[in-house]
Amino acid sequence: MTLLSWKREAQKPGPQASAFEDLALPLLPALHNVAFWLTRNATDAEDLVQESFLKALRGFAGFEPGTNFKAWIFRILRNTYLTSRTGLEATRTVALEEELDEQHPEGAIDRQTPEINLIRLADRAMLHGALEKLPPPLLEVILLCDVEEMKYKEIAVVLEIPIGTVMSRIARARTALRKSLQTQNTQARERGA
Amino acid sequence: MTDHISQANLNALADGELSSDQLSLVNDHLAACPACTSAALVQTLLKTNIAKAGQRYAMPAGLEERLKRLARSDTAGRARPSRRSAITGWATAAAILLVIFSGLILLLQGRRRSELAALEYQAQVSEVSDLHIATLAAGLGPQVVSSDRHTVKPWFQGKLPFSFNLPDNLPGDTKLDGANLTYLHNQPVAQLLYTIGRHRVSVFLTEKRSGEPTGEKQSEHSGFKVTSVGVGELDIVAVSDVDPFRLAELVSLIKNVQTGA
Repeated sequence: MTLLSWKREAQKPGPQASAFEDLALPLLPALHNVAFWLTRNATDAEDLVQESFLKALRGFAGFEPGTNFKAWIFRILRNTYLTSRTGLEATRTVALEEELDEQHPEGAIDRQTPEINLIRLADRAMLHGALEKLPPPLLEVILLCDVEEMKYKEIAVVLEIPIGTVMSRIARARTALRKSLQTQNTQARERGA
Repeated sequence: MTDHISQANLNALADGELSSDQLSLVNDHLAACPACTSAALVQTLLKTNIAKAGQRYAMPAGLEERLKRLARSDTAGRARPSRRSAITGWATAAAILLVIFSGLILLLQGRRRSELAALEYQAQVSEVSDLHIATLAAGLGPQVVSSDRHTVKPWFQGKLPFSFNLPDNLPGDTKLDGANLTYLHNQPVAQLLYTIGRHRVSVFLTEKRSGEPTGEKQSEHSGFKVTSVGVGELDIVAVSDVDPFRLAELVSLIKNVQTGA
């Protein structure tokens, strides 16, 4: 049958690629930002975005219209990262839920202590330092929640974990961030003393 | 609710994830518990600051163009015909199918665009609510303190890439308290601070993000009412816990003064 090759190739019409670009291109800065946070390296971040973008383009036929495109493409980015060299290295050191819990037990922060000024006055370098210290599972959840402003349901789709786990990771991430800011603040005051 | 608010609920409050019933319980508790109020403010400030600090890495120039080219060559590579005669034979049938499918695709594109617009709107609602809460939480006065529009408007000269007008005749219990220069999506915006009765109101004036006309929208986030409307090159977004009708009235005044209506 001489026409098979044409039939197969015609499954990817131009308008579909154009629809993909319309949806994906506005998300590139956000994808790149998260990729850089995950890989901590400019070249790896660009490679990760490029690979994810092409994977998403090739798999766009499988994207269900009416569902959340942002969650879909971030899930591709995240899965691509997990199978990359840096991702594999990171997953070797990924702590289990219980271990994350032990690192920053809930209630480790004294809620009676006013922290409002500390957080309000925390400069960008302190916040970057606190984010960099987060283990990857907590970093990715806080980036999706606070920076990408995704709902818990969308984060659960991206990370392929239950909403309960999303919530507990967010709680641990914020406890860890507050603890880290407090530590940095104490160290800065000691240096200044 | 007699026990303190759990960490999970404090986070859900900051993230706008509480149901209306949960929100009502939490608000009742916050009204009577300074420790939890303080903890809630900490979470909100932390979220706002992390949102800003997390947007750290700008996309390198040229990456978007490179990806566009890659996408086009990838698509073309997969679509390249290997047998010209086969295409000729099926061209008529394909043309008919394309007419049918292009209609469908246009419909789908329209749907996706509206989905994207809805997501962007939700993100904007969330961000302005967080900024409003952070303003209330910080307890600091406005950067420019004045009820005089002739003082507030000129204060923004050179600080914003756009200009705006402020209404003169406000309703009896509505007062301009001042304004802040703040940032939304990394763009400088004007945050006008009003009081309606005993309710605080933040009105954000931003440069319009898309060329499409924006009709009035009303929404709710973390217990705050959000009203937005576009006029000319401006988007006006107001946040408060005041009666939505009063909020819409203020937004309407600000909108009308931009066009001289």
